[in-house]
Formats: sequence, structure tokens, C-alpha cells
Amino acid sequence: MKFSELVEKAEKLVGKHEQGRRIKPKKLGKLQQLLSDKKSRYEAKLAETDDPGKRHKLETRLRVVSAQLEKSKQLQAAD
Amino acid sequence: MLKKTLLPTILLILAYGFWVSPDFKEIAAGVSIFLFGMLFLEDGFKAFTGGVLEKLLQKTTDKTWKSLLFGVVSTSIMQSSSLVSVITISFISAGLVTLVAGIGIIFGANIGTTTGAWLVAAFGLKVKISAYAMPMLVFGIVLSFQKSKYLKGAGAVLAGLGFLFLGIHYMKEGFEAFKDSFDLASLAVAGYPGLFLFAAIGAAATVVMQSSHATLVLILTALAASQITYENGLALAIGANVGTTITAIIGSLSANVEGKRLAGAHLIFNVVTGVVAIAFIHQFVLAVDVVSNSVGIAADNYTMKLAVFHTLFNLAGVLLMVPLIHRMSEFLIKSLPEKAKDLAEPQYLSDAAIEFPETVLKALKKEVWHLFDSAFEIMAHGINLHRTEILTSPDLEKTIDDDREVHEFDMDELYESKVKVLYSAIVDFISNSQAHMSSDFSEEMYRLRRAAGEIVECVKHVKHLRKNTTKYMLSDNEHIREEYNNLRYQIAMILREIYRLRGEEEFDHAIAILEMDELKAEIQSAHTDLDVRVTGILRDDRITPIMATSLLNDFNYVDETSRNLLDTAQALLFSHSDLVAEAAQEVVLDEDEIEKASAA
Repeated sequence: MKFSELVEKAEKLVGKHEQGRRIKPKKLGKLQQLLSDKKSRYEAKLAETDDPGKRHKLETRLRVVSAQLEKSKQLQAAD
Repeated sequence: MLKKTLLPTILLILAYGFWVSPDFKEIAAGVSIFLFGMLFLEDGFKAFTGGVLEKLLQKTTDKTWKSLLFGVVSTSIMQSSSLVSVITISFISAGLVTLVAGIGIIFGANIGTTTGAWLVAAFGLKVKISAYAMPMLVFGIVLSFQKSKYLKGAGAVLAGLGFLFLGIHYMKEGFEAFKDSFDLASLAVAGYPGLFLFAAIGAAATVVMQSSHATLVLILTALAASQITYENGLALAIGANVGTTITAIIGSLSANVEGKRLAGAHLIFNVVTGVVAIAFIHQFVLAVDVVSNSVGIAADNYTMKLAVFHTLFNLAGVLLMVPLIHRMSEFLIKSLPEKAKDLAEPQYLSDAAIEFPETVLKALKKEVWHLFDSAFEIMAHGINLHRTEILTSPDLEKTIDDDREVHEFDMDELYESKVKVLYSAIVDFISNSQAHMSSDFSEEMYRLRRAAGEIVECVKHVKHLRKNTTKYMLSDNEHIREEYNNLRYQIAMILREIYRLRGEEEFDHAIAILEMDELKAEIQSAHTDLDVRVTGILRDDRITPIMATSLLNDFNYVDETSRNLLDTAQALLFSHSDLVAEAAQEVVLDEDEIEKASAA
């Protein structure tokens, strides 16, 4: 590989990296808002239902949303 | 047969022409250089596309006047209505623009193409254009050797223009000498038959040269050399307009029905406009004289007057046809109906779109959804359910418990004819278009190819599942029947959820992608529950050990199918241009995280 091609590749990589850093926090913030709203909706539904089958499903979904929320926060913190 | 003999016949005619007349040779060389220039120009413009043109199209064609304007501007810049119409067909095939917007672009392109007539009339015959051609060629070729994509593109545009000018020069020289040995005027017939004859000659010349501009140059040079009368020249120009549709028709051959309808619209517009122009030729001649007088064009300046005529009759055509645009669209939809849902045929993959990355991705995504639809139908029948039951039943669990009808069909045959064919077409299209993709696009393309592969796997799994499902859903043993109905329910529920989420608005795709994780956790949880239940009913002798092993094996197929379907949906809902969806893709949980979240 020629030096000029190497430089071009490196510039592309740096460009992508910088673009990623610029976009992610803002979009992750928006995503966290959407996930938080969803979590609240599931919690409200869970409080309303006594059906064991439905509760079991809602609890599973709630755990997934919480894990996703946690992961997005970790990703944001890492940036 | 015709296809096989056409090329040798053309070559023989050309060779004979070269032998008989050196002037004909010069004209033919001029036309060839001109067309070579067109190829360069097209290549040059393509260097400036790659997402930008596609996005521009979407934003600028949402209203009829906008699409008209787009057609005018893009054709004026590219100097080729054929190129614009072929690109429009590719967009229509990919579902990026509507038929009405596409028709608007084609109408606009017909006005845009008249700027070419002005350029040719203004510069083509008055200035010693070969003097400009040479430096353009030199600069163009030097630039086209550069590494930068854009410099290369600019070089190709410049060289293209250079070749165009050089071609015009040769045609002009050829006609100058040719006028003494052959007289086009000898073909002249008085009245309307003569007009139609010359219109046919104009159409045929454009079909052969694949460029109305080239025909126009021929007409102007022939006019300047007094080879033809002014009226014959007008008829030739009308014919050239009709002949230009052939490129769109060729382009539409590989397009879907929408593309064919657009090519039909192009043909109708140009034929109707041509017939109207011939019918009212005297009125048009009068109008041309009035306009020419008012802008100071000399009465004997036929080249400029031809450009005025070209503009006037195309404008008249657009004014006549724009109010009918919706009716035309309805007529075309009626006369070129979509084939009765032949799911095995790829519907969105058009070779015409292959050089436009954004369009390729959108077409590909639609085709993978199409594959998903085909697979959905087979999988639904595979578990003995109707597609409509899955999508519309208010209580899916109850419907499945009640529906014990066995669907008799050959699943292998359906797999071969509806899934494998489509999958092969997708893989083939991807391998053909990969060369035109940057790394960003090829990553998404790879994701879509994998998604298509997963859909195929799902169908294979359901095929394995079918035998026992059919057997046990009819069993008198209510325990095994209930368990197999649970398996049917799980697949049906996943398919139904994916269709529900697919219908969500664009912005919610991020949430839809993440919701697939919730379904994955539900499956995981169901797996654990099933293990416990099977152990229980086996211990209590409610099912036989053979039933239990069948059930556990088949659950693995269901598990794998469900995960594949959800992974596929996550890939299909992702878009690199939707940044929230891109962020969601990073938050998607991996297998371990799902397992952890599913554990109570």
C-alpha cells in the first residue's frame, strides 16, 4: 500500500470515529427518553394486572427495557 | 431471430455506406464520436452521484410542479433526456418516486431537452467548434487520470463535451461535402404524408443513434447545407422526439411494472405531442415566425427557428398533457396491470439502479421484505394456519386451538419456486452491485444478505417442524396437542409482531428494533417453562417419551426460527440514515444479556 493510500484510509477512519463521537450522545439521549417512557408504561400496566401469565410477560419485558436503558447509559458514559 | 440479424445487418449497411461514400463515412464517424462523448458525459455525471442525487430526487418530486421542474433542470444539466428517463425508471422501480411524479419528470425532461437544441443552434454551427473541442479533450483526459473521484468526473464531463463538439464538427464537414452527392430533398413528398415520412426518418435516426441531440445536429447541419426543406426539418425534429423514447423503453425492459408504465407514459406523451405538432404544423410555423420576429431571429435563420419550434411544441405538449397526468397514470395502471402476486419474481431489483448506492439499498431492503412476505405465507401454511388468521385474529391463541385444518401443499415445491428463486436473485443482485458500493453501504448490504439467508433458514426449520406439528395437533392426547399448539402460537405471534412493528412510523423504528429483544427474552423464558412442563407431564405419564423427545427437538426448531425472524426484522428495520435507529442497533442486547433479562 502506498503512503498516500495509507493516509487516506487513516483520515477516513478518524473521520468516522469523530462523526460517531459527535452523533452518538445526542441520539442515545433521545433513545433513553423513549426507553424511559416505555418503562413507565410497562410499570403502570404491571400495577394494573393480577393475571399471573400477563404479569410474568410484563416483568420479562420490563427487565429487558431496564437492561437496554442501562446499556445505553453505559455507552453514553463511555463516550 | 430479429435480434440475431439486426447487428450484422447494421454493420453491413454501414460498411456498404463507407465503401460507396467517403462523406457518409465522415458523418458516421461524427455521430460515433458524438455518442462516445455522450458516454463520457454520463460517466462524468455518475461520479457526482452516490446518495446525493437520490436524496435530491425524493425531496424534489413530491409535487407535480416540482417533478416537472426537476425534469427540466436535470435534463438541461445532463443534456440527455434519455439518461434522465432511464434514471427515473430505476427510481420508480425501487419505489422511490410515484408514477405521477415520474411522469412529471419525463414531461419536464422534454422541455429540458430543448435547451440542447438552443446550444446546438447557437454554437454548433456558427462557431468553429473543433477549436474548443481539442483543448477540452486534452484538459478532460488529463483530469480523468487523476485519483480523486470528483476530478475524474469533471474530466469525463469535459472530455465528453469535447467529443460532442468534435462529433458535431465531423458531421458538419460530412454534410457539407455530402450535399452534392445525395439529396435528402429527393425524398420529399408534399403535404402531410411527407411530414409523416420525415417524422418516421427522424424517429428511426434517433433510435439508431440513441440520441435526439445527435439527430437534431444532423437536422441542423442538413438544413444549413440545404439538404432538406424547413418543414421537413420540423418533421424530423418531431420524429426525433418520438424516437428518444426507445431508450426509456429499453431501460424499462429490466424494470418492474411501474418502470414499464413510465416508459409507456413517455411514449404516449411523445407520440401525442408529435401527432398534435404535425396536425397543427402550419399554426406552429406561424407561432415560430412570431416568436422569432419578436426576439430578433432572422427569417432565414432556420437553425434558430428549429430550436424555437422544438421548444414551442414540447411546451405545447406539456401544457396539453399536464392536466391529464392523473388520468394517464390511471390508464397506464389499468392497461399494464401488476401480475397476480407472483411472489417468486423479484419485484424491486432492477439493473438500472445498480450504480446508485442509496437506491440499491432501498430496493434490496424492499426485496428482502418481499422474500419475508413469501416466507411468511409458506411458514403460515407450514404450521397449518392462514396468513389472514395470523394477522387479524383478535385472539390468536384461541384461533390456533380451534383451527385443526391441515393445509395440504407441497412445501418443497413452494420453497423452490417462491423462496429459493427470490433468494438467488437477491444474492446475485448483491454480488453485481457490490463493486459500486462504498464501505458504509456494503456493510448494510451484508446485513441484508444475512437477513435474507436467515429467512431461508426459517422456512427450512418450519419444513422440519411440519410433520410432527400436523401429526400432534390432531392427536387425541390433549397435552401433546396443547404443547404443539404452543409452538404454532410462538411462530405465529412472532410473525404477527414483526408485521405490527413494520407498520410503525419511521421514527419509531428505533423502538421497534429494541422491542425485538423483548420478544427474544419471552422466547427464552418460554424455553425454560417448556423444559419444566415437559419433565412434569412425562413424569406423570401424560405423554410418551417419544412425544417428549419430538417436542424438545421441535422446540429447538421453533426457537431457532423465532430468533432468526427477530434478527431479520432488526436488520430490516435498521437504516444507516436513521441515526436513532443506528443508536438503537448499538443498544440491542446480546444473547447473554437476553438470557439474564429473561431469568425471573
